[in-house]
Amino acid sequence: MTVQDTTAPDAALGLEGIPHTGEGVTADGHLTEPQAGDFHHARSAPPQAQWYKSAVFYEVLVRAFNDSDGNGTGDLRGLADKLDYLQWLGVDCLWLPPFYASPLRDGGYDISDFRAVLPEFGTVDDFSYLLDQAHRRGIRVITDLVLNHTSDAHPWFQESRQHPDGPYGDFYVWSDTDDRYADARIIFVDTETSNWTYDPVRGQFYWHRFFSHQPDLNYENPEVQDAMLDVLRFWLDIGIDGFRLDAVPYLFEEEGTNCENLPRTHEFLKRCRKVVDDEFPGRVLLAEANQWPADVVEYFGDPGAGGDECHMAFHFPLMPRIFMAVRRESRFPISEILAQTPSIPTGAQWGIFLRNHDELTLEMVTDEERDYMYTEYAKDPRMKANIGIRRRLAPLLDNDRNQQELFTALLLSLPGSPVLYYGDEIGMGDNIWLGDRDAVRTPMQWSPDRNAGFSRCDPGRLYLPTIADPVYGFQAVNVEAHMNNPSSLLHWTRRMLQVRTEHPAFGLGDFVELGSSNPSVLAYLRTHDDDVVICVNNLSRFPQPVELHLSEHDGCVPVELTGGVRFPAIGELPYLLTLPGHGFYWFQITRPHEEGEPQ
Amino acid sequence: MTTRPLPAVDSLSADLATWLPEQRWFAAKGRAVGGVRVERVAVVIDGDPALVHVLLDADGERYQLLLGVGAEVPEHLRGSVIGRLDDGSRAYDAAHDAELMSRLPELFAAHSQAGGLDWQPEPGVRIPIGQRARPIGVEQSNTSIVFGEHFILKLYRRPAPGRNRDVDLHRALARAGSGQVAEPVAVLSNENTVLGFAQRFLGDAAEGWATATASVRGLLAEADVTGVEVSAGEAGGDFAGEAHRLGAAVAHVHADLATALGTGSVDAAAMADGADEMHGRLDALLTEVPELAAHEATLRAAFDAVRDLPATRVQHTHGDLHLGQVLRTTAGWVLIDFEGEPDAPVTERGRTRSPLRDVAGMLRSFDYAALHLLAGEDPDEQRLARAAQWADRNRAAFCDGYATVGQDPRAESALLRAFELDKAVYEVGYEHRNRPDWLPIPLAAINRVTATR
Repeated sequence: MTVQDTTAPDAALGLEGIPHTGEGVTADGHLTEPQAGDFHHARSAPPQAQWYKSAVFYEVLVRAFNDSDGNGTGDLRGLADKLDYLQWLGVDCLWLPPFYASPLRDGGYDISDFRAVLPEFGTVDDFSYLLDQAHRRGIRVITDLVLNHTSDAHPWFQESRQHPDGPYGDFYVWSDTDDRYADARIIFVDTETSNWTYDPVRGQFYWHRFFSHQPDLNYENPEVQDAMLDVLRFWLDIGIDGFRLDAVPYLFEEEGTNCENLPRTHEFLKRCRKVVDDEFPGRVLLAEANQWPADVVEYFGDPGAGGDECHMAFHFPLMPRIFMAVRRESRFPISEILAQTPSIPTGAQWGIFLRNHDELTLEMVTDEERDYMYTEYAKDPRMKANIGIRRRLAPLLDNDRNQQELFTALLLSLPGSPVLYYGDEIGMGDNIWLGDRDAVRTPMQWSPDRNAGFSRCDPGRLYLPTIADPVYGFQAVNVEAHMNNPSSLLHWTRRMLQVRTEHPAFGLGDFVELGSSNPSVLAYLRTHDDDVVICVNNLSRFPQPVELHLSEHDGCVPVELTGGVRFPAIGELPYLLTLPGHGFYWFQITRPHEEGEPQ
Repeated sequence: MTTRPLPAVDSLSADLATWLPEQRWFAAKGRAVGGVRVERVAVVIDGDPALVHVLLDADGERYQLLLGVGAEVPEHLRGSVIGRLDDGSRAYDAAHDAELMSRLPELFAAHSQAGGLDWQPEPGVRIPIGQRARPIGVEQSNTSIVFGEHFILKLYRRPAPGRNRDVDLHRALARAGSGQVAEPVAVLSNENTVLGFAQRFLGDAAEGWATATASVRGLLAEADVTGVEVSAGEAGGDFAGEAHRLGAAVAHVHADLATALGTGSVDAAAMADGADEMHGRLDALLTEVPELAAHEATLRAAFDAVRDLPATRVQHTHGDLHLGQVLRTTAGWVLIDFEGEPDAPVTERGRTRSPLRDVAGMLRSFDYAALHLLAGEDPDEQRLARAAQWADRNRAAFCDGYATVGQDPRAESALLRAFELDKAVYEVGYEHRNRPDWLPIPLAAINRVTATR
């Protein structure tokens, strides 16, 4: 038995026998790192210019989707086995939260090796297989990449703390005192009291915007920038379709600022974009910047160049306002935030969502609005987490099918590419008694069989218990049952995705809100060339009338998109519609039939 | 200019005498018209149909009409026909003729004198032409037409000579840079009479009344889960945030009007006169509405309390503020229709008053919004309690919002109470005559205000 060298830079990785960073050290003190050429490469996805502008994304947690080897944890091969389902559903791109090697103290966002896969999920070659199979079905795959920080178990950090004068000594933000950058807020207020933590090994403080076990990389150091660009290249070379760049506003620090959205952060993102454009065209960068839209647009880069930073960015403030608008039966929370949303470069697109693996984030609402959201959607204090609410869509909406449909219709028709969250297509529930944000990360419910068909393991071995309550439990809510019921939410969702695909206006169109005198009805026009779609949403639980001013389209005929029913022609007078409670319509505006035209 | 002879509109008098009383904007509704006399006729746009401007006198009241006069009346305007002229042509209410109306922007754009009228854009405003015209909804005293989504023209059906308060106050607020009004765009006038007023159209606006009552409806229908009573603050459609912002918007308007047009002060004698007027309105109703008798003493005491007050500040105000006079737009709340109280004589409308009058009007309106859904039903304790809670919560939020900009209206409680009661007395009279089912709303308010004295 050999004694483990606990000071080896890769000691904390647990990746013996698997290619990983720090397997060896070069003469000049650099760590050896796996290269893309060491692995299989996936075939390419079918080329499609600006595919991300009309794509429907689907966020899926590898851990939670399907377990292929019966160890109680989902894995990459398991996910690959379910690609037929995702293709059937009609999603265009999968977004996988991080599957890198990690001590998992922050759901994998604490990456300990950018070039290795978490062993319980599989290997880099398994990922390459998943990618290949997805591309075969026309599905793209992007994953999270955390640029801002690493895990403290990353060999870079281990080298940095042990060898301040070595090649990695300057890879992190070190300081003799803990009083620099005092204007930067603390993000994880529930767990952290400072952005500085003392490291007894190096005898200095290190900077961290998130958890204290996630030291921030030092982007002042050009070698850090180059090392991270090489991480991008590694995965792009294997064939990945892009990255969701996690926590981008925080890359640089500067005294006297809040250390967010600094100009040099944008400069580095431009370098990332250039690598993509020059070396891997057709791949995307999606910014996670939980900021106001006016600040977020900066992450698209120069509008004159059509955008030269990220192709996409999440629109965070929209989501809580959708919930608020429906709860208040008033369109203004949505109207206001969209009116405040600046236009974006021609090559850019918003990413919009209702729910994701994080809590329903309430950072981008006012205090008054936050209190309101808490009282309305988090009656039980355990539903609150950090600044947000940790619930799934169905329980947030009291399992009301009409509201689930209305919310999904809004998600699919408001400006931006929609991101679905796994399980919401069958109305899965949550388990608020699980710790942190695990409430919404339970196993996907495939069938009424043992472990919801997710895994063949002993139920006690599951990474998290399946949902078992009488309303949302897997015996009642599962893919198989939904497949067998033609009026299920799953079939309805699939149909809506098909309709969306048929109309470029949803992905590419302009957005113009149509005012009306009814404050509970939100109506808007999506227009792309001659594809004109009108969306009318009743945010109230009561039936509502609305008069829309459509005289611009005098003589045209609205055709309802899910059933193809032709509505009365638009005339000079306001167009009267009545909507059932939480009802919505999507119409295409078509020119009237010509005399003698075959019908 | 036209050389064509003026149409013989006089020959329409008999038809007008039957047509006028059917119009919503006619003052003496339900009464037969004694005599109609045409005062002024002018062709504004020649052709077939021609657009003819008419001022007429019906039993001493002056009215404004825009007539379409043509050989034939198109099918869709048949409902607007008034009658036949001597020469055989037909006359109809041209406000409903989208084609004729869509020619009006050209007149404004050209600073025209068509029909001997002054079509005048506001300084620096460019009027877009070629916009489709659309007459809108039913209004009490005017007729409005929207052009494209750009501007809305209000035709005063009963134009009065002299200063027009609506135009004057809008202009003053616009000059002050107020974000709480729709900018003036153009004015149509004849010598010293304003006939029409165009403003920027707020296409994204929803009426305050509709917005508020959506919230009330939600609260009243909220299901009780396991017997926990829902409070107005917890209900989904809570309106307090909006009421707060509305209070601030009204206070901004008051502040801007005070800065632009000045303030005054009324002394104790004037306060006493004010109290006498309130007593007078009560006197007039006491015999008519027996239900008021029980409250007479407390009402009189509240009015008398005003006599002892020190001088109070007066200024130009909205004059007829309620939830139907405010619009929620995407950019915030906007106040409309600064004409003043519709029933007051024109000379009275222009006078300065305490801004608390506006506040009292809005507070009463919250009460109406809360209770109108219950009007005519058998009293249900739970629904009544919820409605009362909604009213209290939103009245308080409105005052809180007002206090973020101006002085907290509750600081002058005696005056505010008197104004609210005076308004409620007026409402009692109105409901007694027109909507007996709604009478309990103002009566309950009187009961509540006087009980908490």
